[in-house]
Amino acid sequence: MSKEFDIADSLDVKGASCPMPVVRTKQAIDDLAADEVLEVVATDSGSMSDIEGWADGTDGVELLAQEEGDGVYKHYVKKLE
Amino acid sequence: MSETDDTQQQESTDDSSMALIVRVDAYDQVITPLAYAYLGSAVYDEVNVLFVNWAVRLLSEDGLEDRLSPASADRGMTLEEVKASVEAGGFPPELDQIVAELGAADEVNLYGCSRAARVFDVPEEKLIPEADGIEGATWFLTEKAETADLFLQF
Repeated sequence: MSKEFDIADSLDVKGASCPMPVVRTKQAIDDLAADEVLEVVATDSGSMSDIEGWADGTDGVELLAQEEGDGVYKHYVKKLE
Repeated sequence: MSETDDTQQQESTDDSSMALIVRVDAYDQVITPLAYAYLGSAVYDEVNVLFVNWAVRLLSEDGLEDRLSPASADRGMTLEEVKASVEAGGFPPELDQIVAELGAADEVNLYGCSRAARVFDVPEEKLIPEADGIEGATWFLTEKAETADLFLQF
C-alpha cells in the first residue's frame, strides 16, 4: 500500500504493552521536526485506540493513518508546526 | 495584575496536569500507578505524584522491599514471574529503574509525603536524586491535586 506521505522515522515497539507504545511514540515525536511523519509498529492491539486517543488529545500531532494485519498494528503520526 | 501577568497566568492555567497519590507498595500493585505516571507523561504537560505510607520508600536510596501482594501470592504467582511479564511488555522490571526513569522526565514530579517520610524513615538526605522533595499532604492536595485535570489514587 503506497503512502501519501513520506516517513521520516520508524519506531519499533513490537512486544511492548500499554502504556509503552504511547510513551515511546511521544518521546520519538519530540525528536522529529515539524511536518515529519513517524511510523509506529506495534503488536499491542490496545495501541490502536491508545494512539488514536493520545493524538486526539495532544496538541501538535496528527494521526494520519492506522493499519492492522498479521498481528501488527501500524500508526502514522505527523508532528505539526 | 498587569496585562503581562494576566497572560502568564492564562498560559500557566492552560497547561494540563495529572495528579496521583500512591499508597500501595507491593510490586504487583505499585506497577499500575507507575504505568499511569508513565502514560501521564505522554498525555499531560505535568504529572505530579505523591507517595504515601510505605510507598514513600520508593523515593529512598534504601528502596522498597520487593514483594507481591497477598492476592498475587495466593494465586501462586512468583515475583520473578511478574517481573518477567512486566519486562516483556517493555517496562523496566525493577522499581528503582522505573522511578529513576520517571523522575528524569521533565514532565514528572515525584514527592514524598512528609508524614510518611517521618514514619517510614525517609529523611531528605536519603532521597534519590530524581525525587522532587518531601512535601506536606495539604500542599499536594491544594496545589497539585485540586488544580489537576485528572486526579487518581491507588
